Amino acid sequence: MGFDFQLRAPYRVNSKSERRRFAEFCAGIILLLLISCPASIAAQSGATPAKIPGGREVTDELGRKLRLPREVDRVVSLAPNLTEIVFALGDGNHLAGDTDYCDYPPEALQKPHVGGTVNPNLEEVAALMPEVILATSINRRETVNALDRVGLPVFITDPHSVDEMIATVEHIGSALAVEKSAAALAAGLRARLAEIDRRLAGSAPRRVLFVVWTDPLISVGRDTFIADALRRAGGRSVVDTSAEWPHVSLEEIVRLQPEVLVFASAHAGETQRDIEALRARPGWKSLEAIERGKVVVVSDAINRPAPRMVDAVEQLARALHPDAFAAALAPSADSDSARSHSSTSDLIRFESRTEEACACDR
Amino acid sequence: MRPLTVRRLLWTCGGLALLLLASVVLALKLGAVPVSVTDLVLDLGRIAIGRADQLPSEYRLIVFDLRLPRILLGILVGAALSVAGASFQALLRNPLADPYVLGVSSGAALGSILALIIAPRFALITPLGALIGAIATIAGVYFLSRRDGQLDSTTLLLAGIICASFFSAIILFLMTTLAGRDLRGMAFWLMGDLSTPVTPAIQWIFTVGLVVGIGAIYSTSADLNLMLTGEREAIHLGVDVTRVKLVVYVCASLLTALAVSASGAIGYVGLLVPHVVRLIFGSDYRLLIPASALCGAIAIVLADTLARTIVSPTELPVGAMTAMAGAPVFIYLLRRGLR
Repeated sequence: MGFDFQLRAPYRVNSKSERRRFAEFCAGIILLLLISCPASIAAQSGATPAKIPGGREVTDELGRKLRLPREVDRVVSLAPNLTEIVFALGDGNHLAGDTDYCDYPPEALQKPHVGGTVNPNLEEVAALMPEVILATSINRRETVNALDRVGLPVFITDPHSVDEMIATVEHIGSALAVEKSAAALAAGLRARLAEIDRRLAGSAPRRVLFVVWTDPLISVGRDTFIADALRRAGGRSVVDTSAEWPHVSLEEIVRLQPEVLVFASAHAGETQRDIEALRARPGWKSLEAIERGKVVVVSDAINRPAPRMVDAVEQLARALHPDAFAAALAPSADSDSARSHSSTSDLIRFESRTEEACACDR
Repeated sequence: MRPLTVRRLLWTCGGLALLLLASVVLALKLGAVPVSVTDLVLDLGRIAIGRADQLPSEYRLIVFDLRLPRILLGILVGAALSVAGASFQALLRNPLADPYVLGVSSGAALGSILALIIAPRFALITPLGALIGAIATIAGVYFLSRRDGQLDSTTLLLAGIICASFFSAIILFLMTTLAGRDLRGMAFWLMGDLSTPVTPAIQWIFTVGLVVGIGAIYSTSADLNLMLTGEREAIHLGVDVTRVKLVVYVCASLLTALAVSASGAIGYVGLLVPHVVRLIFGSDYRLLIPASALCGAIAIVLADTLARTIVSPTELPVGAMTAMAGAPVFIYLLRRGLR
């Protein structure tokens, strides 16, 4: 080691008076620190929630009561799904800011960003002077506590399923005082889900593996909204655990042999290349679903508890149970869909056609 | 090197305190809302005379309710970690000793995570768990490395490193197996993070703990100077080595526990700051301890300002900044010291 603990100064035995002066100095430091502390506390305790004349009280999904103005003009969203919901409610012009990950609809990209979902910059949030801040379970409790402490109202949502997502749409509608459009949106989504349920009635659920990540293999636990979306689309995850995003061993998946692998992607082409690469890898190539090309690439909307999730559920339901939806397709497509699982290239063709079909439905 | 006089001590600490003040003003200035230095000084004056009400509310919210508490917390954490590092280095007569190497930080982190799992609603549980974890770790490491009543520095360091990796493994296990809202932010916290201000009550506890801890360690600084020559020599010179060791171990663990429970594991500060201070001001502990506290505070305030602004609006964990800045400085000092 380069710098030993040598005594550079010759040690001098302190005289009594010098010791006393040291003690005085020590007291000085203590005093300094004690002065610095009340200043901070004075600064902190100064923040009280702004009193809103003629406001209304709303309750968020954790049961916390907030006072909000009668009309909400400035909203900050702390998660991509909340941003989507605000836009779907037709209230996008009142969105003052969102996160770096808010990429849908494209207008969300134009909004001022306040940072990530886990580590938003609290100063940026405050600088936007929001009348309400929307948060969800991916945000940290510490972030919410910090915003609470400085008196900014945080409306927390906590959807764990497709139905709860629709309820969240209604709750956000009431927080933003746009109950009417929220009710219309929710009714539309419920009707579409009911139609899927009607068509899938009687079909046995497919055993699927939802692949969140391949390296390492991460899937979804039973309590996540993705697992619920799989159930609504006529699938059942072979992974059954209380952990939300479990690391799964590939050996276990080879033993369970899921019928279909489900990937989520905005870019089907890229995922297609990934899947081709998986075919050559040990472990993955022993999966029957990979070998027989039973792979579904579903829209990445399934990753977000927002209204678009119902699109993803429809798309996945059609891919998992083509027969149940056969009537909705053009007759010429029937022969194609019958052999859609024979190879991955067919599957992609099938999938792109499904999207067209979805578009026609609407 | 001149012998330490009170005049030199006061000048050095005064200069460092001014530097700290300058870095606090800089940290207050930089951020989402730009502020001019003159305004800041005027407003700080207004707050000092108790007329904070006159400030515009949005500006006060950002600069004084969000930015200032975070900076003050950074000062406390930096001072605590640096003094803890300096004390461990003196006790073990090993320049590589620091709260992280000895496993105290990991023990404190494990303690606070366990406390969060057991009683998530109780606000004071994290610092309490961290303190129990830190003291249990340092006691465990201490007894592991005692041989025939003597403390072997090498064994102590090895025991510390082993404990640190063991605790990290347990933390990883807990974070993987336990799904929960409260543990989600933990990965971020483990990197060292100041972005979430603590409650005023906890800030008081930190301040009092810091003052008591640093004060107690400072009261032993003359004895620590003697112990640098060797334990036996110190005993011959009339130092109650057992008492000094006990006081410094407990206080340094307390300081580490406070820092870890407030901000997670911020690395390199406890290791690096005392070294820099020692190179500049010499190794007299009567100067080294207050100077380390002030320099540690400056280091954390500046590192956190960088972490807040460098990729704005996203924030980096401050631990990433200290490691990125700290490791090269450490290597430079090491090379310079060797020459």
